[in-house]
Amino acid sequence: MSATGTSRLAALRGSNNEGVLALILVVLVIAMTIVNSDFLSAGTLFAILRSSIVPTVLALGVLIVIISGGIDVSFPAIAIFSAYTTVVLMRGSGIDAGVVLVLVVSLVIGALLGLVNGGLIARFKLPTLIVTLGTQGIFKGILIAYVGSRYIAELPLGMRMFSTQSLLTVPAGGENTSLHVLVVPAIVLCLLVNFLLRNTMFGRGVYAIGNDTEAARRVGFSVMRIQVILYVVAGVLAAFGGVLHVTLTRSANPQDLLGTELDTIAAVVLGGASIFGGRGSVLGTMLGVLLIQVINNSLILMGIPSAWQRTAVGLLLVIGVGVQAISARRSSRRVFAHREVVAPA
Amino acid sequence: MTDQKTDESVTRSTVRESNRRVDSAVMGAISRFHLQHGVVRMLVLTLLAFAIFTAVKPRVFLNPLNLQNIAIAAPEIGLLALAIMLTMLTGGIDLSIVAIANLTAITISSLYTAIGATDAGLAESLAPVIVLVGLAVGAVGGYVNGLLVSRVGITPILATLGTMQIFNGIAITWTGGKTLYGAPAMLTTFGRTVIAGIPALFLVLVAAAIVLAVVINKTALGATIRLQGANPVAARFSGIRTDRTLTSTYVMSGLLAGLAGILFVSRNPTASADYGSSYVLLVIVIAVLGGTNPNGGFGTVLGVILATLTLQIVSSGFNIIRLSSYDYAIAQGAILIIIMVIDQVTSGRRRRTVPKISDALATPTES
Repeated sequence: MSATGTSRLAALRGSNNEGVLALILVVLVIAMTIVNSDFLSAGTLFAILRSSIVPTVLALGVLIVIISGGIDVSFPAIAIFSAYTTVVLMRGSGIDAGVVLVLVVSLVIGALLGLVNGGLIARFKLPTLIVTLGTQGIFKGILIAYVGSRYIAELPLGMRMFSTQSLLTVPAGGENTSLHVLVVPAIVLCLLVNFLLRNTMFGRGVYAIGNDTEAARRVGFSVMRIQVILYVVAGVLAAFGGVLHVTLTRSANPQDLLGTELDTIAAVVLGGASIFGGRGSVLGTMLGVLLIQVINNSLILMGIPSAWQRTAVGLLLVIGVGVQAISARRSSRRVFAHREVVAPA
Repeated sequence: MTDQKTDESVTRSTVRESNRRVDSAVMGAISRFHLQHGVVRMLVLTLLAFAIFTAVKPRVFLNPLNLQNIAIAAPEIGLLALAIMLTMLTGGIDLSIVAIANLTAITISSLYTAIGATDAGLAESLAPVIVLVGLAVGAVGGYVNGLLVSRVGITPILATLGTMQIFNGIAITWTGGKTLYGAPAMLTTFGRTVIAGIPALFLVLVAAAIVLAVVINKTALGATIRLQGANPVAARFSGIRTDRTLTSTYVMSGLLAGLAGILFVSRNPTASADYGSSYVLLVIVIAVLGGTNPNGGFGTVLGVILATLTLQIVSSGFNIIRLSSYDYAIAQGAILIIIMVIDQVTSGRRRRTVPKISDALATPTES
């Protein structure tokens, strides 16, 4: 094969295996269509997109943290804390708040909670998993013990008005199926985070400290400042995800989202982000989330009990990461016979 | 005049001499204290928690029934914490332990009811076999983790995240999401047995802890496990079979999880796929609180046991003073972060001051 041929193939494959993921997605969709002709329809597509909205936004925050070499398990707590507290505040103050006020209040709360994470991690150089494990308990506890434990169905105007809005409606077999309007903010956030990671100094810094913190410091990045900012950004994204979740479910339940942290991390890792930091992309993450949603959806269509979903995602994760690990080992053996490299490349 | 001066200088030098001696004695005491730093700190915390709740509600808290309840609830969490501590010693982690424990409990419960449906007496007499099969399920789960980590080379946190989902998925499918009832009478009576005021379940934890402490501290395998975590490269270059060490570590962790699963059904003759879903994070908190270094190489069994007891005391005390389980979640998180911050601040200071002394001695006695 010619040199340009391999480079074109490498470009198709993507720097984080995005091409491979896309290929798996396409194969899966084709296979599902053969098995069940109902699969390839606007209804299925819209359902998958709708169920991907919240996981995608949450995954974006996780992606930034993972690229920086950390792990965040507190984001579901931040998400539901921000959204639920906003609803409680709005109801308490009697303001039927519009979109702007709802977003400002919840995103500020998310930013503050992210600041707690970032401050502890950057100031005391603590392991990120341990810190976010601790703050997760604290946030969840404060929310349910002191903010409220009740399920709230009356949402402020800013959330209510979007709950049942559709972006477009397609007639399908007698009844209409429609695409929820909230895919728009999810896509906008993806583009924004993509820009932030690829085109700003902050984004370069996140990749740099994920690759090698000491090297990043010597090059002149302020590691502490980047870490604080990135956890604040992750907090804001989590809060946004929380608001979207409350809007989509048309109710605020303080127990929601909690316990989904490992599923989201699995999606991000499937999307090609390295758990050791320094690698990962927004496109990969979107594909990872989509893949999991497609699998969940197709298992239902194939009549397989939804209980197998967890097993399927787990298998996918182990196979995906395992293949990466083995290929990384092989290539490292080729280059340095003695180097110990287990990092998925 | 001159006499006085020499006198003064003599006394001054003797004072300096005795000062130095006192200093070195204190330094020696402090360094010995640091050796057991994690354990001593945990002991202080355990006693502190005990003292606080005794002072607040002595009648209810010191009630034998309450103390027994603590001793009955602690063992399963303690076993899981020991399992995760063991994997942390090698620099890894095992997120799948709760899923493995549930799988063991489900195996025992469903085997017992299946055999009992045809012959109740046979099911009862086969109880020891059923329990062993349950334990074997734990070992197999651990072996799968071990293979993924050592042979395939997947990072432990991802490998066990994946197997957690797989084991949990199998458990959900198996039970259909429902709670299974039924456990061998042998187990349920064992769960109620009290020996000299101490519940038998607690003695299981004590026995497992002693065995694990011996394995970690007195055997060759234990030494390789600790070296693997402290310095994987050195471990490899000193000829240690890394893959074997890791595989046996995860098998042991799976066995401990299986044992915890046996305790699940002994306490309550039920088994379900989602039992103890909050335990995963709780046992990480306990392991770290007990002085385990999540990056590997350091951790003590005693520290983990004390941390388990402390959190159980706090949980029970919170119950007595009518604080919710969410207040307990806040306390858990706050304790974890405060301990980590204190550790970081003091270890930073130690690192800055210690080199002067150790440079002079130039003989590192302990690492």
